[in-house]
Amino acid sequence: MAFEGLLNDPVIQKYLHELVGPTGMPVAAAPPDGEVTDEELAEELGLELNDVRRALFILYENDLASYRRVRDEDSGWLTYLWTFHYENIPENLEEEMYRLLDALDERLEYERTHEFYLSEPAGIRFEFSEAMELGFQCPETGAPLEPMENDDMVGAMERRIEELRDELNVEAKAN
Amino acid sequence: MSVGEAEAQLSEDELAGLELVRESGGIHQSDFWKELDITSRKGSRIAERLFSLDLIEREETVYNGHNTYYLEPTARDLDFSKLMAGDMLSPFIGEEEVNANSNAFSQWLMNLAYEEY
Repeated sequence: MAFEGLLNDPVIQKYLHELVGPTGMPVAAAPPDGEVTDEELAEELGLELNDVRRALFILYENDLASYRRVRDEDSGWLTYLWTFHYENIPENLEEEMYRLLDALDERLEYERTHEFYLSEPAGIRFEFSEAMELGFQCPETGAPLEPMENDDMVGAMERRIEELRDELNVEAKAN
Repeated sequence: MSVGEAEAQLSEDELAGLELVRESGGIHQSDFWKELDITSRKGSRIAERLFSLDLIEREETVYNGHNTYYLEPTARDLDFSKLMAGDMLSPFIGEEEVNANSNAFSQWLMNLAYEEY
């Protein structure tokens, strides 16, 4: 198996699982050295050919696998020879870290500038204007909506933003 | 070749250089050799070798009016666990659009706040 170092990282395992799902995971978790056909993978892993192909095309869409087509001279059938490109995983995850950082920045602004109300029994949070429209009553349980502090969440967000900026060498936004 | 295998081939000076690039998060080659207290020629050789082994990124740049290189750690040195909140991965993975007000992201943020307190 190739790329064992990368695959030992639990975050990378989780990432692959997120992309291909549980049925595709046997394909994603054991990339072979060199080229392999979808049929070979299906047989080796004891999976349906369709599940193998689905997983391979998801990896392909995420730049983590490529294929070349070869025509069998006798049968005239096309064979797909696949190569895994897990060397691209770190760049993909770096991009995800930037996306997460942007989302955190945007959401932090929203959290700081709004007030929230909680339905304790339902565990649902409402923004002030929503809560007012509902007459400060939970639409699911009828329980009164209570004001809710979001200081803990804001603090946790600020820390994670700081950590991501530090990892990515991004300067804090001027605002 | 894995990172571990590549690193195992390095001399002491080269390892010190790699550490410096990783700790600084990025450094100009003209500062690199000064920090390591070696000659510029040796610094350039070390940077060249780390780059050829795919252990650092290297980009041409102008710094203090001189042509030099900017040396950076590669993406695989990043701490990917910063994508996690508890056992939940960033909800934007596999999504085309980033929606900062999605329910999935709210759930991720709850996990984050819960994890840290």
